[in-house]
Amino acid sequence: MGPWRSFVLKASSIDISTHKHSLVKSSLESQLKTLLPRGRVFTSAAQLAGYGADGLGYKNHIPDAVVIPADAEELVGFMKGAKALHVPVILRGAGTSLSGGPVAAQGGVIVHTSALKRIREMNVKGFWCEVECGVALNDLDAALKPHGVFYPPDPSSGPVCTLGGNVASNAGGAHCFRYGVTSNYVLGVEAVTLDGTVHRFGGPAGGRGPWREDWKRFMIGSEGTLAAFTRFWLRLLPLPEKVWTFRATYPDLKTTEAAIHALVAHTSYPAAIEMLDPRGVAMVESSQMACGLPEGSFMLLVEIDGPEPLVNARVEPVAELLRRAGSKDVMFSDEDELRKKLWKARKAAGGLLGQLSPAYVVQDAVIPKRALAEVLQLVYDEADAAGIPAVNVFHAGDGNLHPNFLFDSRVPGDLDKVELISKRLMQRVIEVGGTLSGEHGIGNDKSSYMPLVFGPDSMRLQLAVPASFNPAHQMNPLKVFDNRRFAA
Amino acid sequence: MNVFPPMLNERLFVPFLDEVDGTLCLPASATAAEIAAQTTLYQLRFPLLLDESLPLRDQITATTHASASCRFGPFCDNILGMNWRLPSGRIARIGERVVKTTTGYDWLRFLLHSGSRFGEPTDYVVRLRPDCGFTVVALFEGTYTALENGVSQLLHSGWMHWWDAVDFITDATGSKVRVVVHCVPSEAAIFVRQLERIASSIHAHFTLHQPTSPPFDGLPDLVLKTTVDRVQSLASELSREVERSIAFCYCGVLHLYLKPGVNLTERIHALAQKVAPELHDIGGDWYSRWLPAMPPTITESPWLQTLEQAIHDTCTP
Repeated sequence: MGPWRSFVLKASSIDISTHKHSLVKSSLESQLKTLLPRGRVFTSAAQLAGYGADGLGYKNHIPDAVVIPADAEELVGFMKGAKALHVPVILRGAGTSLSGGPVAAQGGVIVHTSALKRIREMNVKGFWCEVECGVALNDLDAALKPHGVFYPPDPSSGPVCTLGGNVASNAGGAHCFRYGVTSNYVLGVEAVTLDGTVHRFGGPAGGRGPWREDWKRFMIGSEGTLAAFTRFWLRLLPLPEKVWTFRATYPDLKTTEAAIHALVAHTSYPAAIEMLDPRGVAMVESSQMACGLPEGSFMLLVEIDGPEPLVNARVEPVAELLRRAGSKDVMFSDEDELRKKLWKARKAAGGLLGQLSPAYVVQDAVIPKRALAEVLQLVYDEADAAGIPAVNVFHAGDGNLHPNFLFDSRVPGDLDKVELISKRLMQRVIEVGGTLSGEHGIGNDKSSYMPLVFGPDSMRLQLAVPASFNPAHQMNPLKVFDNRRFAA
Repeated sequence: MNVFPPMLNERLFVPFLDEVDGTLCLPASATAAEIAAQTTLYQLRFPLLLDESLPLRDQITATTHASASCRFGPFCDNILGMNWRLPSGRIARIGERVVKTTTGYDWLRFLLHSGSRFGEPTDYVVRLRPDCGFTVVALFEGTYTALENGVSQLLHSGWMHWWDAVDFITDATGSKVRVVVHCVPSEAAIFVRQLERIASSIHAHFTLHQPTSPPFDGLPDLVLKTTVDRVQSLASELSREVERSIAFCYCGVLHLYLKPGVNLTERIHALAQKVAPELHDIGGDWYSRWLPAMPPTITESPWLQTLEQAIHDTCTP
């Protein structure tokens, strides 16, 4: 009798809750339609399915609704009424985040900013532009290029990722070694807090504006936990006139590390120093991106740029440095076709991983570069012992590791193994003086590691920031710090 | 549930020099000479210095930018971490020792130029750059239009990335553009050829100097932050009201040096009030080490109260 009775009760409770849920959902839908008379409101399962995950993939959180405001004005209108919805509000650009950032971890409404995609102004003389948050990164680059300027951050998701997502996660990319990350280029942020108030922090001049404090500093990298962004003022640089790309392969980790150490101190100031490990090389070589890399080698991809007479004078010294460090296979080119082929292989690595495995986790730790070989060896040892394939494709110049752990979430225990490896890796990363994330953000993927980084006082300071702007944690709850839970 | 339990103590920075990463942790009271004493051996340098003998903390408190920010960005892009003494006396770690982080909210950039409102730094982790061994300073002198054209040529090409500084200077002797180049000796001729080409095209008087150290201009009395395309004309407009001005052309930053003497703070205040509306309109600002911070706006007051409460709470267990 016991099991049968239990089944009846369970079935009955499902019925009641489903009915209640659909009532709540229909009420939410009608409220949203009032807030967004021109935009779109999605609530059907088919429409919501595509918003369950970000680039992290394996963690799925289906939202209660998705809204697409028609423009900034409508987004502001939505934010004015959002508090009264009593559900979490999650801002989302292209959803290419790799940290479980723009997902409805506690349910709620996802606000998709894809309609806010105007480049509002380009001031080439003043080296700045004004863009809406939904502009795709590569669309901005294409618009700037004819004017001889560029916006340097270049995450691999450039063709689709939006500037809103870039600013929210303080995105980086392959050329950060010399050019830096998003926070180095944001002059101003227009942010809308949950009461619908529009704040302009900074602007084309990149200062504080009329505020006493420089609030934009908290906004950049805040992962949608403080406010919604509508537009940005971004700093630009003149395009480099000449670019040389080098490819050098090495037989082992130690010699590769020595080459990286020599490169980062070199007076040519490389723009990019990237590394693919033998597993990454094998992955590229067995794909359409194959570019003749020797099997079993560690590959460095290095780029120098600048005015032609200057950069040409640096080509041979850089090649010699790569040879002296132990490479018998140094190739370099200034031909666009060859260069692009190499970069395509590097940047497509994430997509290629998807062909090898149904799921993968990519970590984003940054470590002092003297610990590169040691920490990478730890990755291999832990992953091999657990039977989890690991592929390393990362920004070596910054010490920004991206170990990719391939697994199948349908296989019992696989995810647990990956989480255990990640935990040990993060502990070691902090021990050697590194940090959890260099450019992907914390999201809900790394939030449980935050106590490794922040002591009691710095933790209080950290938590005070969302407490200032979003005290109820209605905006993107359970992100950055896992105790940020929204209580309606 | 947390994977890791809360940490019981702060992970404070201890002094170090990492010659591989090019990072150095040192007391906030360190001077240029003390920094150089540690870095020279490893052919590294910290290029963002305004004064030879004042503590780094005073320099960072006085302004957000230095002359070499043209190439390396503002102080906040070159200070990676801090040990920060809170008003309670407790010390918290802010930031990292690695060059890239997006772990948590950016208190480092928020606090760095906040004066002593939330406490003060005791140690900095600074980002060093390769010391290439050769510095040359080029001076262009000519009409305002010629110099404006010169600055435009210096900035609007791929060369811009490689000038340590492009400064528009006005003082009692007139106006000039100062370009600082730091390179390996073998590349010096390439840089000089480009500078000569620009000087010739704008018909400016052009001289080269080989200083033993980069220029130390001293701490400004008033700092204005405007846009790149406004900074030079603003410097020119204000030139009669100050003893000397230095515009960091790519940064949109103007350092103003007033004649010392009576009513200095009143004169600075008057100048700041004159330009404030224009600066605020474009997201710029002003700052003077001689004047108290302006009061918070009504909007930011509640945010500040929450932050101040958290800072206060750091002294309670």
